[in-house]
Amino acid sequence: MGWYFKAIGRRRIIEFILLTIFAVFFAGPLLNLVVLAFSGQWTYPDLLPHQWSFKWWRFVFEQDDVAKSIGLSFLIATIVTALSIVLCIPAAYAFARIRFPFKRVFLFSFLLTHAFPKMGLYVSIAVLFYKVGLMNTMLGVVLVHMINVLMFMTWIPTAAFRNIQAAQEESARDVGATPLRVFRSITLPMAMPGIMVASVFTFLNSLDEAQGTFLVGIPDIKTMPIIMYSIISDFPSSAGAVFSIILTAPTIILLVAAQRLISADVMASGFQVK
Amino acid sequence: MRKEVKQAIGGLIMVSPSFVLLLVIVVIPIVQSFVTSLSNGEGGYDLSRYQFLFTDKGMRSNILFTLKVTVVSCALVLLVSYSLALYMRFSSGKLVDWIRKTYMIPLFIPGVIATYGLMNLLGNHGWLARLLLPLGMTLPRLIFDEKGIVIANIWFNIPFATMLLSSALTGIPASIIESARDTGAGKLRIFLRFIFPLSYKTFLVALTFVFMGVIGSFTAPFLLGPNAPQMLGVSMQQVFGVFQEREQAAAMAFFTFLLCSVLGYFYIRSMAGEEAANR
Repeated sequence: MGWYFKAIGRRRIIEFILLTIFAVFFAGPLLNLVVLAFSGQWTYPDLLPHQWSFKWWRFVFEQDDVAKSIGLSFLIATIVTALSIVLCIPAAYAFARIRFPFKRVFLFSFLLTHAFPKMGLYVSIAVLFYKVGLMNTMLGVVLVHMINVLMFMTWIPTAAFRNIQAAQEESARDVGATPLRVFRSITLPMAMPGIMVASVFTFLNSLDEAQGTFLVGIPDIKTMPIIMYSIISDFPSSAGAVFSIILTAPTIILLVAAQRLISADVMASGFQVK
Repeated sequence: MRKEVKQAIGGLIMVSPSFVLLLVIVVIPIVQSFVTSLSNGEGGYDLSRYQFLFTDKGMRSNILFTLKVTVVSCALVLLVSYSLALYMRFSSGKLVDWIRKTYMIPLFIPGVIATYGLMNLLGNHGWLARLLLPLGMTLPRLIFDEKGIVIANIWFNIPFATMLLSSALTGIPASIIESARDTGAGKLRIFLRFIFPLSYKTFLVALTFVFMGVIGSFTAPFLLGPNAPQMLGVSMQQVFGVFQEREQAAAMAFFTFLLCSVLGYFYIRSMAGEEAANR
């Protein structure tokens, strides 16, 4: 063995060990949940369950509020995504293409959503919502979810619109296309990858949002993460693990579908100017 | 001239819906929570709610605890993220490609789920404890302890910080580094003279996000933190939801804004400066 390690070099070995620790650190918790979800009986100190079963899956699906929470979560995430597309895409186009007064002030005002610690912001909103009666309402929860997505839903599409060469739009206009036609058949398709990434990220963000919903939606608006809070404290860990997988599944499906579009550069453009 | 005016009006109309939403969900809540935090409950306005933060023993230890966890988490996250981003920028091979493809995954995992996974993995009778048992090792207490919160913060924040930093490092042209290498500059010199100066702004942006992310966190400290002292996020939720003391909760929220104000201000200013340089 010794000659083998020498041949690869010490640097490679250290690299490999560090990266293994890294992979275990990030994958370990998730892998643990997968094993737990399919375990029937798993007593301490066994390394693996000595009985595998699906019984916890049945148990979780038999809970009434679980099915309800899945429906509610998807409904809210769809509303949030649709609303943010309608509100933010026009703004993104204006930021990228149109000259208007105070453009920079408007553009940078969106940074405010990320310039405050989240829980502080949620508490401030809850204090306001309490006064105007938006606590424990759908509208209140949708508004809280919008905070997190407002900035990258504006900025990622802005970057996408900016990256389109004006020459392409101009040449379409030169051959007689109307402005609307140019937007529909040149500008929008070319900006689509950026808009898609932002939308997927928005949808997932809303699906996973727990803290703000917990504060504002209590006690009736129970989305999946809120149910998860109570499952963690009330049920055996295998039930929690099953629900974790249900809650993570949409994320993984959407990520695999959008894999080609997501890169560090596109994502980073939602949080900073480059 | 007419066309320009038309454009300007069109632009303002397109921007205004999302701007109004921003006013409703960010600006107005912050202003009114500041006003609320100043009311002393007897009809008058003073700083008594803020005074309480520093005179109450439990609250004071919560604040110190939050700051400690935040500073430790920030240091660890940035150290690892920056090293990882550098490694991904300047190494090649199958292993690196594989990391590039996967390191962002935790960014999309719901916070509740990751926290729960960590609880099960690192808990008293968790998987890690079982794995270490045959080796004769026992785990120190990690869950329901500040170490657990720090570990969760690392888990959540490294992918995001690495994403920002690696996007900044990719932006450094290879020609700069190559020409420096040609003139005989060593690795350390290249790093100090070129790579760090060219990426320190993003470094500070990443620091801002991690700092605010930890101070404003709730899920991880709520689920796996100790009962006392608490992180401010958890304490705030309790003061608001359980004790129903909205004025006090507003004061705590505003206090966390003050803690982050320097970094928040820096973040907005540096972004604005960057934008001006691009034009």
